[in-house]
Amino acid sequence: MTAAFAVKGLRKHYPDFALQDVDLTLPQGQVMGLVGVNGAGKTTLLRLLTGLAAPDAGSIEVLGCRLPDEQVAAKRQLGFASEDMRLYRGQSLDWHIDLVRRIYPEWDDAYARELIARFDLKPAQALGGYSHGQRVKALLLLCLSRRPRLLLLDEPTTGLDPVARAEVLETLCDVLRDEGRSVLFSSHNTHDVERLADSIGFLHQGRLVAHADKERFLDNWRRVLCLGAAPGGLDGWPELVHVRAAGSQVELKVRAWRDDLPQRLSAAGLTVQRVDPMPLEDIFVTAVRAGGAA
Amino acid sequence: MNFGLNVPVIRLLIVKDWQLFQKQLAAYVLAGFAALTLLGLAKPWAFYLGSLALIVVLVAAACFAIATSLLVERKEQTLAFVMSLPVSPLDFTAAKLLGNLLTFGVPFAVLLLGTLVVILTTPLPDGLVILALLLFGHVLLAYSVSLAVAMQVESEGWNTFAMIGSMVLINPFLMAIGQIEAIQGPLRGDAIAWSLPAALILAGQLLVSAAALAGTAWWQGRKAAFY
Amino acid sequence: MYQQIVDQITARVMAGDWRPGQPLPSIRELAAGSGVSVITVKRAYEELERAGVIVTRHGKGSVVADRPEPARALLEEGLRHHLQEAIAVGARLGLDRAALHQRLDVVLDGNPPTSQSKGSQS
Repeated sequence: MTAAFAVKGLRKHYPDFALQDVDLTLPQGQVMGLVGVNGAGKTTLLRLLTGLAAPDAGSIEVLGCRLPDEQVAAKRQLGFASEDMRLYRGQSLDWHIDLVRRIYPEWDDAYARELIARFDLKPAQALGGYSHGQRVKALLLLCLSRRPRLLLLDEPTTGLDPVARAEVLETLCDVLRDEGRSVLFSSHNTHDVERLADSIGFLHQGRLVAHADKERFLDNWRRVLCLGAAPGGLDGWPELVHVRAAGSQVELKVRAWRDDLPQRLSAAGLTVQRVDPMPLEDIFVTAVRAGGAA
Repeated sequence: MNFGLNVPVIRLLIVKDWQLFQKQLAAYVLAGFAALTLLGLAKPWAFYLGSLALIVVLVAAACFAIATSLLVERKEQTLAFVMSLPVSPLDFTAAKLLGNLLTFGVPFAVLLLGTLVVILTTPLPDGLVILALLLFGHVLLAYSVSLAVAMQVESEGWNTFAMIGSMVLINPFLMAIGQIEAIQGPLRGDAIAWSLPAALILAGQLLVSAAALAGTAWWQGRKAAFY
Repeated sequence: MYQQIVDQITARVMAGDWRPGQPLPSIRELAAGSGVSVITVKRAYEELERAGVIVTRHGKGSVVADRPEPARALLEEGLRHHLQEAIAVGARLGLDRAALHQRLDVVLDGNPPTSQSKGSQS
């Protein structure tokens, strides 16, 4: 089975930013969520994957096409929507649909009409009168209705109200039904990533600091509450990313959880009170504060 | 042979640009006809007013075509949408160059033709044809250079500078050819008398215009990616 | 998140909504329908299979197991977990065994249990 995309040894230098040594593969049929703070390299990576930017080093293969040389063939099967992409304000959605439909033979008009109804969009109205949420939905509609084999979405839910966000996420779920289609999306909203992604890519300062299937990634992290006085040297334990003592309680955040940790903590004089899995949001913030220790 | 160009999509993008700007360009052509009507009156005041209006309309149409097809698209971030379509940088350049040749070329050609017709069919001296050609030649040159800059440079400041600077040069240009007796002399006569300087200047204008556009196409075509 | 799927399916099996031998939705179908990732549903199915609530036959998908005991056991396990949490909170309050029993009774008396909490999962 060919991968939806595979990049190796990817590097891209800009005057004030560099993406470095990224190796990443998305198997077909999977959803990958890309997390990272602003400026971590998410947009650069997506630009490289769409062939809009050429790498300084490394190889990029998207849907079997080598980029950027075969970007036209790749882009025929790609759906790409980014936060910094706008449609023509003076033209209607119908005008845009007409343009895009002529370019992509796979265009599914019935599905487009279904999405117009679901998103409650007015196809004859000029887009200048659309709200931000409606514009995002219009852009997604233009991407999804051509049934792309790989969807690359840069911040698809940013700035959406809860109702619009739910509509967008439900529509992304439609894509999951087809095992031949794959999605890569970046988001500040870790809840969306935690819900929809099969795997997580974590970018920090231009490097991919973690990439794992989501369940395994989440399984590695635990928040441990202990009673007792924190012994010296706890900071040196490699699996502990965060140690905070408050009164007689010690809160630990663990990035490489192993079942023998409570025992070792007991031996160090701490009584483990509870061990909880961490939500992705918490993991993300903890890892970024620890300098990308994921 | 298509040089690996994605011709159907290029055609769609050109049609798209045409659809976006056709109303405004039609308005420029109408304004140009009004200016030509003034010219055609063949009265001194009407001639000066008409030629001034014609130059204003030509310059405005040129700036409008470049600004809407490239600068506004960049600023309004619709370029990102266009680049996400199945086009290579060369396809994109071809679509933009050809689209501009259409959106600007059509009003330019209509107004050039109109000007020649007005000069030849009214009491205006036919020798003015040379001056008209040199004037249109300058606008074409300024337009080509501005378009080349707009395709290469993202900075809005440099683009504004290139557009306004090259267009404003029309004034010293007209003054300069006024100093060349070989060109200036026959303008008032009824014969269309080509002189060597006039022919050289026009040829130079056309050559540099073509070189600016061809150079842009070549440079963009070498790029493997947009960024 | 997979725990939610495990709980939902266990509740449906216990409530009789899904009968023994009944085929479960495919992993992709359930993922798309409930808006969670495929890998999360896969993990939930693995947990359910390990617990014996469902049986997966290679290439034929998963069906609800014939015997209801594993589902029961899984719910028991869930209950035990909740009780442990309650006990931990009790310990922080300094409650002894008798006090904990008494607190449980108070809650039970205040909220008489309904006969069956059918269909409470959506």
